[in-house]
Amino acid sequence: MSWFKRGNEGGNFKDEDTFSLGHNSLEKLSVADFQRIRPIRVSHTKERIGSSRKGAKESSPFRLKLRSIQIVIDYSLTTNNSRYFAAPRRLERLHCVLLGAVTLASASLLLSAEPSDVRAKLETFLSDNCYECHDDLTDEGDLNLLDLEFDIEDPGNFETWRAVHDAVSHGDMPPEDETQPKGEAKNAFLSSIQKPLIQADREARQLFGRVQTRRLTRREYEHTLHDLLGIDIPLQPMLPEDPTLHGFETVAEAQHISHFNLSAYLTAADTALEEAFRRTEKENKVYSRTFTAEELGSEKNRGSGNYRGPDFQNGRSITWPMGLQFYGRMPRTDVPESGWYRVTLKNVQSVNPINGVVWGTLRSGFCSSNAPMMFPVGIVEATPQKRDIVFEAWIEEDHNLEIKPNDSSYKRPGSGATGGNVSYKGRDLKKDGFQGIAVTGIKMERIYPNANRDQIIQNVFAAVDWKGRKDGKPNRQVLAPAIKRFANRAFRRPVSQEQIDPWIDLAAKEMEKPGTGISDGLHAAYRGILCSPRFLTFVETPGKLDDHALAARLSYMVWNSMPDRALRLLADQGKLTSDPNALHKQLDRLLDHPKSERFIASLTDQWLTLNQIDFTTPDRRRFTTFDPIVQDAMMQETRTFLKHLILDDQPVSKLILADHSYLTERLARFYGMKNINLTPGNGLQRVKLPDTHTGGLVSQGAIMKVTADGTTTSPVVRGIWIGERILGIHIPPPPPGVSAVEPDIRGAVSIRDQLAKHSNDESCSACHRKIDPAGFAFENFDPVGLWRTGYGADNKGAKVDPSGVTPDGKAFEGINQWKQHYASRPDMLAKAFGENLLTYSTGAPPRFSDKWDIQQIANRTKDENYGMRSIVHAVVATEAFRNK
Amino acid sequence: MKNVNFNFGKKLSRRAALRNAGFAMGLPILDAMVPAFANTESLPKAKRFIGVSLSLGLHGPSLVPETAGIGYKPSPYLKSLQDLRDDFTVVSGTSHPGVAGGHTAEGSIFSACPNKNGGSSTNTISLDQLMSKHLGHETRFPSMVLNTGSSSSPSYTENGAMIPAAEDPVKIFNKLFKDDSAKEQDRQAELISSGRSIMDIVGGEAKALQRELGYGDRDKLEDWFTSVRELEQRLEARKSWVRTPKPKVKAEVPNKVDRDNTISIEHAMLEIVRLAFQTDSTRFITLHVPGNAKVNGIEGVDEGYHSLSHHGRDEEKLEQLSIVEQAVINEWAGFLRDLKAAPGEQGTLLDETMVLLTSNLGNASSHDNRNMPVLFGGGGFQHGRHLAFDQKNNYPLPNLYLNALHQLGLESEYFATSTGLMEGMV
Repeated sequence: MSWFKRGNEGGNFKDEDTFSLGHNSLEKLSVADFQRIRPIRVSHTKERIGSSRKGAKESSPFRLKLRSIQIVIDYSLTTNNSRYFAAPRRLERLHCVLLGAVTLASASLLLSAEPSDVRAKLETFLSDNCYECHDDLTDEGDLNLLDLEFDIEDPGNFETWRAVHDAVSHGDMPPEDETQPKGEAKNAFLSSIQKPLIQADREARQLFGRVQTRRLTRREYEHTLHDLLGIDIPLQPMLPEDPTLHGFETVAEAQHISHFNLSAYLTAADTALEEAFRRTEKENKVYSRTFTAEELGSEKNRGSGNYRGPDFQNGRSITWPMGLQFYGRMPRTDVPESGWYRVTLKNVQSVNPINGVVWGTLRSGFCSSNAPMMFPVGIVEATPQKRDIVFEAWIEEDHNLEIKPNDSSYKRPGSGATGGNVSYKGRDLKKDGFQGIAVTGIKMERIYPNANRDQIIQNVFAAVDWKGRKDGKPNRQVLAPAIKRFANRAFRRPVSQEQIDPWIDLAAKEMEKPGTGISDGLHAAYRGILCSPRFLTFVETPGKLDDHALAARLSYMVWNSMPDRALRLLADQGKLTSDPNALHKQLDRLLDHPKSERFIASLTDQWLTLNQIDFTTPDRRRFTTFDPIVQDAMMQETRTFLKHLILDDQPVSKLILADHSYLTERLARFYGMKNINLTPGNGLQRVKLPDTHTGGLVSQGAIMKVTADGTTTSPVVRGIWIGERILGIHIPPPPPGVSAVEPDIRGAVSIRDQLAKHSNDESCSACHRKIDPAGFAFENFDPVGLWRTGYGADNKGAKVDPSGVTPDGKAFEGINQWKQHYASRPDMLAKAFGENLLTYSTGAPPRFSDKWDIQQIANRTKDENYGMRSIVHAVVATEAFRNK
Repeated sequence: MKNVNFNFGKKLSRRAALRNAGFAMGLPILDAMVPAFANTESLPKAKRFIGVSLSLGLHGPSLVPETAGIGYKPSPYLKSLQDLRDDFTVVSGTSHPGVAGGHTAEGSIFSACPNKNGGSSTNTISLDQLMSKHLGHETRFPSMVLNTGSSSSPSYTENGAMIPAAEDPVKIFNKLFKDDSAKEQDRQAELISSGRSIMDIVGGEAKALQRELGYGDRDKLEDWFTSVRELEQRLEARKSWVRTPKPKVKAEVPNKVDRDNTISIEHAMLEIVRLAFQTDSTRFITLHVPGNAKVNGIEGVDEGYHSLSHHGRDEEKLEQLSIVEQAVINEWAGFLRDLKAAPGEQGTLLDETMVLLTSNLGNASSHDNRNMPVLFGGGGFQHGRHLAFDQKNNYPLPNLYLNALHQLGLESEYFATSTGLMEGMV
């Protein structure tokens, strides 16, 4: 940060007034210089810097009243490297600096309240309650309130007062052991701050919106191109990962763009279009092969290298729970081309089942050590009853399939050979009691799950006579309608002729090259359209969103993709803004469509951080029963549970406490649940739970796993997670220089005792009394979600103490009482879920002035028992959702 | 593979032309770059830089020597490096001011950008990219960003966008040393020219949008302009390289690398880096060993690397962890030896190349970002010392980064939060 300072103090702006960079002060800018920098206009007679926005509805420019002449510059916004080196020499280079600067500064320069009046009103309260610790002498926490002016035009100052407001409002300050302010004085104080803060925030929101232009995430990009073109190839791997902020990938503030992104977009667009045009050229390729058990599992059919394939007996191919890497691979199944395949395992049958099932994994991969990555195709649940099991998956060229029993509780037979080979000669593994999965063959077919050739032709050529696509004559009349229709769909709103002219020119120019046809022209134009910010970002103008922006918000929220035809039609007709129920009807339609699986996947991946499930691998020696089958079942459990909460409008309190869940036989056995009625072969099944501490989403295995590090649990990590995701308790990051407690897993000391030292420190306890209790309550769940009563190996170390006092003062002995407490606070849970949904769906977390909106979410859903589908509706009804 | 009786025509891979994960494209020296250094006349003492970074730190007690200065007593991890004693410096008690947040501090390893204890979403240019920005235009690839197991990297552009890393040794090798077919070259030239026309229009659209959307989105769209302009410049610079033959090296395509073993990938990557330096294909490189790196097949290790880093003081875990960490260090040292054996313009290649090893984590078990591990070799510095700063009150590591910039002749006053050149580093 640095500051622009005005050369002369006080008075109005004059042309000769100068501004200079605070440090490395090589530049002096005059007001006249400002004027030269389009489009900023300095209007000194009115004491204002104003700007005329081209295309803005109002004729008069909006004006920024510059009270103090400080303009904050955030160097992260600059394009020159001025942070590290001398300031740029020439004014032209400051262009972008200034634009960025004014953007930031202007957000806070809109106020009309007189700051001195507000500050005076606060004085008594501050002096009675705050100065003892927060004055110029003891500026505890680096906060000196005595000298803090009320100057909320400055974003930093705004933030400080907001923090003061929240600390007093939440009862964090004054500290517990100090005299507490009287309710009346406290309320008066809070409302004196609140009003101007809200006003300032609202005005800024009205003018600039609460969210900046956000970009499609990778997952949104892929879904959008699939829907736009009808193709089905993966595109996500071609784009850089999306950074996460406030729990979500959709948050605009974290999305930065560079030439690397643009270059990747060029490549990805080209890949997608090439696939689309390729598929318009010819009928879909047919590939269908069936492999017999003998072909799969006979050593006679071994490929080159070590044999690690299945056993072959009596017309069946069988694999056993061997630990050798790539064991169970079937080289014959390698696919000739990357694509979607339907894989049918024929007559799958268990050998020596436990509880009527043998669990295995079906994966694809190159199956060699220089390319060891294996990609899950599905989980195989083999039963004594023979049946075909069908999977559909993307399989890369030259990858082959691998099946094996993969339940860690199975005893492992030896390989029967040396040097990484497997041999079954002279052994009868069935008789020896090992679990196995038998099939009589595998059928593999190429499929095109998204769209057929005709649909793709329609998407790509639209109004153009596609049979004439090889016609080499550039013809704008032919190209224009197709390009216009494509841009219209890609940009998710009507396009003007002016907007598409450059793309038509590009296509026409491409077609001037020898040997090109309409396909080439369209390809060139479409490639550009797919790199346009109108496609890659959400075009939302400040104020109320128009129909098309609303349609996009709704569609990306639930489907992670562009609006479909029906939604688009309503937007074109202006129905979404004119009919108050239209958006809600559409929301229901979108939720009831199978594509809403994407909503559940986005929420569980981002909000519940299940995309982190592979970040650590549980210690194999300590958590011996954990395995890939368990992990998969855990993910399914949480996803399915949340899906039903939302789609069936179940009360939000079930996030905390529920008497049912969705389990497979494997998962129930892993959790150690007895007397649960599960039908072998039916996969995930809804079950009534035997005890209460396991019921409710927060204590499900997947959540316990992602909030631990594979070796240990930390009440702090879990406490923060539960606070931010579920309870809506926000915790600021720790102050600098504080390191976390170093875990000691040898078991002699409990994490609680280690933490106690840290949390008893007064400056730490203010936050930790909010963080730790929830974490303590979950300490009975180990890093893989199993119930434990002690730490260390076999839980024989220090005893777990899951008791505590919630931040709102409720003492609990353990998880059950903790759950009872929060399950009876559904308004709190509804607000927290609403906040998270707002962040996810709009691309920015709720701001100070959105509190009313959040409260409305709870109010509106009370009668619905705080049902989660109702909460989604309430979010869509907020001002925050319907405005930029 | 078998042929299954149909012809697929063009394969997807032809689009690899513009796919440039990990490779910055050629950038001409630009007007905007010159002023900062225009006054500096000093002759660069080093030409190249590679930063090897680890997600999971190095166990402090095994790395940091007990005694300081020239005669320091080697720590357990450094015993096997004693033949190189005068070629590198151990630095302890340093870290990046204002950088915390455990794993989230990874983005600041080379940028040293304060991150509000992990709560920040912004970043600034990393050391390698800054070097590349000013000096990278002389080689085919202005920089290379590599990773042994994922596409994440600690290399960032000025507006805080992460540069995705390349992770497949075969692809990297081919990109550096395998000439494209004439047809492929045509296609690349074609893509470059169409990419430039597209960027032209995209720039115009961003401008129009800026007018439509108003001030709130101004800086976001500024980033678009910058990105468009920089991509145009890079495409332009790249044009001249499309038909320039790539250097020939006496080395096998690294297609036998065990991808489940981060040590063997690190080895293969550093071998490619050496070749890239020797052929002057690029001069600025980062190589990251990520937290999900696999350590299968290393004798004596049967747990995941990340899990081991959460050793919780368990002796068996610590023992396994030290096997992995020693191997990582040994690969780094082997690379130093290779550079030392290779001739440079004057002296050895090592004399002209700065080789850094560091991590965002000083203690992975507690996710502490203080006391970052630092080994710094080559580049014409006087090495052979243990610079021991205060473990409790850390000295700024960006000071060392400033040394590195100066060594290249980039005599800026500061880098990130540096307070000057590193004390004792000459």
